[in-house]
Amino acid sequence: MSSKLEAYLEEISHYLSGRNEREEILSEIRSHILEKAEREFGGVTDASLEQAIAAYGPARKVAERYLDGRPIIAPAYKRYLFRYTTLLFAAHSLLAVFSVVFKENFIVFPFVFIPRLGIIEVFMYLPTAFLTDLGIVTVILYFITQSGKDIKLPWPKFAVELEEVKPKREFFMSRIATAAGLIVMLALTDGALYLFSRYGTIFLVNLKNPRPLFTPDAGRRLSLIVIAWFAASTLALLAKLFTRSRWVDVVSNAVSLALISLLLRQPFDNLFAVAEFESDLSGIKFGVKLALLFIALMVTIDLIKNLVFIGRTKLAVSLKGHAEENGR
Amino acid sequence: MTDPDIGSLETEMNRGFLHLLVLALLEKEMYGYSMVKHIERLGYKVEENTLYPLLRRLEKNGWIASKWDLREDRPRKFYVITAEGRALRSSLLEIWKNQNRILDEVIKENANVQQA
Repeated sequence: MSSKLEAYLEEISHYLSGRNEREEILSEIRSHILEKAEREFGGVTDASLEQAIAAYGPARKVAERYLDGRPIIAPAYKRYLFRYTTLLFAAHSLLAVFSVVFKENFIVFPFVFIPRLGIIEVFMYLPTAFLTDLGIVTVILYFITQSGKDIKLPWPKFAVELEEVKPKREFFMSRIATAAGLIVMLALTDGALYLFSRYGTIFLVNLKNPRPLFTPDAGRRLSLIVIAWFAASTLALLAKLFTRSRWVDVVSNAVSLALISLLLRQPFDNLFAVAEFESDLSGIKFGVKLALLFIALMVTIDLIKNLVFIGRTKLAVSLKGHAEENGR
Repeated sequence: MTDPDIGSLETEMNRGFLHLLVLALLEKEMYGYSMVKHIERLGYKVEENTLYPLLRRLEKNGWIASKWDLREDRPRKFYVITAEGRALRSSLLEIWKNQNRILDEVIKENANVQQA
């Protein structure tokens, strides 16, 4: 028996794994290919078998014809994937924030376990949590799809649909608003750069006779991070003058989160050059961290929203493509 | 407007036709390869890797039955229509005739419109 025929049948067998009638299917294909090789290609030889196999088709395609074409998630449930993941991740993020603020573990066995997290750890934790939430929702929708039952799932609305949050304005109008924002951010970035070049820091007290707020080293580090943040926002606004792509927002959000995490990583001890601030250090430290955490949370929500928009747009395009294919 | 993709439309149309054709052919016992060749001689082409899964589905539903013939040096699986299969074939033929009639009438109507 030709090793090519056996290899071909082995490949089909691999794709058919789990099916009881696999051996019988393979026997029938073997019989067909041998007969075809003998009758149409002049006898059972390696060359004729190769021709017969080629005519029969690629192993994966052959196997697929025997498998029922039920999708992993039914098209009607695909939109639930993003909606439910968003809701679950929102709840997850909220609990993560609580675990930072209250310094407590949160356990809802066996669904949620959020360990006591520090500010930095929470940024490491959230992407993992997002993937977990996506996985949980996918598994649930998979089982619903495979059950074949017509299950009507609830469709929670966030007061208004996401599409209604930002109604589509004319690109021209939105560009005017973007241009105004760009001018403000350019002014802020330029002002910060001017202060930094002149004083080595952008954090100053007593504007008549300016003095640095922070010690020289800390002032320089913090100033550079804030200037980078301003510059990134300015560049994002500049890009938005030319494109409406949400990827610009995603990149801007990611850069902002990275810079906020850098700010939070800065040592807060021996920070102030001004004595009266140094005496209130613990209160200021808490306030600044809380404010930065709040900004980070807002940016994260915006990032998730943009990713959901991109995902839904891609899904809509792919569903449209499938509909057109099926309509043919 | 996009060009009509005859290939995929034909595949859609063939799906139902092939069911009916196989049920009609299997009034006498046949095996896969002989069916492919017989259909070819009738001026129609069926892909081998489409026919066998179809035979399996028809058998699963009890419309055809099968048995292995091991008398020759190469084992062959023979298929034949069952009583349920004959009943189904009659129903499908009725549907097919009705569809043909409707289509004929519409084509005649169109011809009259063009003449008027």
